Amino acid sequence: MKKALVTALLIIAAIPFLFAAAALPPHGDPNTPVQTGASAYYLEHGAEEAGAENIVTDVILNYRGLDTNGEVTVIFTGFAAAFAVLLPISLIRSRTEPVSELPASPVVRFAVRLLAPFTALFSIYVILYGHVSPGGGFQGGAILGGLFIVLSAALDPARIRRLIPRQAGPWLRAAAPIAFVSMGILGLILTGSYLGFPTSEAQSAVRTGMLIVIEIGIGVGGAVIFATLFSEMEAQ
Amino acid sequence: MSSIFDATLLLLLVAIALVVARTKDLLAASIIFSAYSLVLCLLWTHRGAPDVAMTEAAVGAGITTVFFLVAISKTVRREK
Repeated sequence: MKKALVTALLIIAAIPFLFAAAALPPHGDPNTPVQTGASAYYLEHGAEEAGAENIVTDVILNYRGLDTNGEVTVIFTGFAAAFAVLLPISLIRSRTEPVSELPASPVVRFAVRLLAPFTALFSIYVILYGHVSPGGGFQGGAILGGLFIVLSAALDPARIRRLIPRQAGPWLRAAAPIAFVSMGILGLILTGSYLGFPTSEAQSAVRTGMLIVIEIGIGVGGAVIFATLFSEMEAQ
Repeated sequence: MSSIFDATLLLLLVAIALVVARTKDLLAASIIFSAYSLVLCLLWTHRGAPDVAMTEAAVGAGITTVFFLVAISKTVRREK
């Protein structure tokens, strides 16, 4: 009885969705507002005006930079909240009882060591080349954070944790908002508006440089946040 | 041909999502869920969104699965 009711409700709920989907324009139709509005302008002028050959990076960091600035702040706040819950417990635990675990198998350790330098190089490439090809700070940061996690899961966690310096740790975790806001203030000085990128032909190196600084900030911040969350959850 | 490929991936997504929802073993469910991210990543790539595909692969299939696994190892493996 209950199951039949749920099924009926689901079918009733699905009908408007299916009608809405049927009314959508075909994929890639050139006459929709999506194609004729702002996107057309971005595609035409993005590459020479916004500082990055990858139009996605142009939109995310330059045209819609303020949105991304807000998103980065939201993610950092979420991390800070998680950290505030996790840290006190792990501080008590790790001081009193040392965690003794079975070491990973030699095959896993060998594979992790073999792949680690290539993964690190790839993540740096994705971060630094995100303004030309698909990728960018967040993707590269996730790969770098994943590398930290794999290393500390397969090898000695304490040794991997030392890769992130204790003094610089808090600053590195906040690298994304710090880089974004400092570039925003630099834009304020250069053009008179927050996150304003200089648009003239002669200053193309400046705006590309600003984009790369933001990408590096997001990448480093993301990687350190992922690695810290993992090690704090492990230490519970 | 292209739309058949897309339709296959979409149906596969629905099938994987149903399997994840029905699996009681949480370890198995998280691994199957990373397969969901993999299929979604293929779909993004085919639809011409390589940036999103890369994020999906790195975050969806990689980092979130790891966090699920850590959470399972700290709690219980089976759903009641």
